[in-house]
Amino acid sequence: MGGELGSLTSSLLEAEPWVGSLMGIDVDPPRRRLKRAEFHRIEPSDRDRIVEVVTTFDPHVLVHLAVWEPGARAGLAHARRFTQDATASFLGAAAECASLQRIVVRSGTEVYGRYRNAPTRPNEHSPLRPTSDYGRMLCSLEETSRAIGSRVGVPVSALRLASVIGPHVPSPLGRLLRQPAVPFSAVADSPFTVVEDIDAARAFVAAASRTIDQPVNVVAPGAITALQAIIHGRRVPLPLLGPEWTIARRISHLLGAPVPDHVVELMHRGRLADGGRTQELLGVSPQTSTAAAIDRLFTWPSVVRIAPIRAVA
Amino acid sequence: MGRIASMPATAIVRVASAVTAPARELLPMHAVDDWGRDPSLVRALSSLGHLRWQISLGGAERLPVRGGALLVTNCRRFSFSAIYTAMAVGESTGRPVRFVGRPDMVPVGPLLRRIGGLLARPDEVEGALRHHELVVMPTAATRHPRHAGAVDVALIAAALATGTPVFPAASMSSPLGRGARVEIAPAVRAKRKRRGPLGDIEMAEAVQHHLQKVLDGLGGVHTGLSAFDYLGEG
Repeated sequence: MGGELGSLTSSLLEAEPWVGSLMGIDVDPPRRRLKRAEFHRIEPSDRDRIVEVVTTFDPHVLVHLAVWEPGARAGLAHARRFTQDATASFLGAAAECASLQRIVVRSGTEVYGRYRNAPTRPNEHSPLRPTSDYGRMLCSLEETSRAIGSRVGVPVSALRLASVIGPHVPSPLGRLLRQPAVPFSAVADSPFTVVEDIDAARAFVAAASRTIDQPVNVVAPGAITALQAIIHGRRVPLPLLGPEWTIARRISHLLGAPVPDHVVELMHRGRLADGGRTQELLGVSPQTSTAAAIDRLFTWPSVVRIAPIRAVA
Repeated sequence: MGRIASMPATAIVRVASAVTAPARELLPMHAVDDWGRDPSLVRALSSLGHLRWQISLGGAERLPVRGGALLVTNCRRFSFSAIYTAMAVGESTGRPVRFVGRPDMVPVGPLLRRIGGLLARPDEVEGALRHHELVVMPTAATRHPRHAGAVDVALIAAALATGTPVFPAASMSSPLGRGARVEIAPAVRAKRKRRGPLGDIEMAEAVQHHLQKVLDGLGGVHTGLSAFDYLGEG
């Protein structure tokens, strides 16, 4: 609930007539004003307290968004540890709740992997062969949630999101594309897709309101290549062939935009997914196209500067 | 202070904006579709394709106006028959046409993906057909230009799984001349309904058989010079 996506989803859930009471747990406080939701600031590793708070609340639906994308808010090691801790604590605690009816977890299209001869647009039935650290993290999260779901007899829906882009969403891809000069793969320039944060939040709300018990791809319609994004963002395109990526990643990290391996993979091999069943399964589908989301990415202000308050007396 | 720190970045963006202005016209935002196909690149390359092939197409009216279809074309080695068939059908129908058989290797794979190439995977073909796309797949390559090679059963199974009609598309071209011909035959219907995998195998065999019949009907290459005709036969 403390992250941008969590806050956005919570504010949409508050407006839903079927939602009685709402409770969230995170290490950071919510980024939006929530009217009805109850918030608890607890570390993901504090399992005992999480179990106590969750079992006392006894939810009907658990929406698990606690996923740390490497390079977004934490480095790889921390992101992996936080995600593992949060998965074990929240899903484990929810399994103890007698009233639990369904679980919705956040996953990503990184779970399909981009190995050689991988399908161009994998659908929900495509094999999971993650080829990046983030993909493996998400795959492990899905496996854990499925195992817990089958153990306690609760349906589990995994929303496999494309890279989430939004004005306040910490996204390594978004940060990289907003750099003044952006590297791209000169020999491939592969297409990728994204999803805007509001569309992702709507998908979570829809998934929470119905029993799906299967994964769903949530991707914006259309695709864009890195070079197109760079040119339209009025950035300097830096064509790279391969080995220079190591140097480019280090320089980008120093400049404040770490480039994790799943983003490098996206730039080299692209990342598309078939979102054709989203409407059928969730009843909603992303409204903002990939091109529009990328276009907006370049218009969002980087830092909002607030002038100091002047003393009037 | 913050403004001073962001000055170099702002300057770079301003310079880049001016430098990349012409490229923005050439690379529109909506350039690639859901599969990574770039229609503007296809249009640009089709003029190059016309330098190589002068294609006459027959039977395009048999294809569905909106629905998906799998076209199976014969393939002489290095003839690129799937590419020129896709090009001809695309120009005739005004719809994007994908072809099966791109390698997943740089730089050829990404380039072929930009002009509509798909991997030769059943799930890839099935995904395209579920989205009502026109897909051209080649048979196994042969040396003789009028021999239809074996048809991939797994790809035919993908079409049957989605209820997509399968059309044999006989193609002929010469390694030396520009003349090329594509003839689309009526959709092949299964003689009997099968519940198991036999249906896929029988359908693949039927498509190969129909394709061979159309190829036999087309006759050989006629340039007026028998030596060239002989070369044209492969």
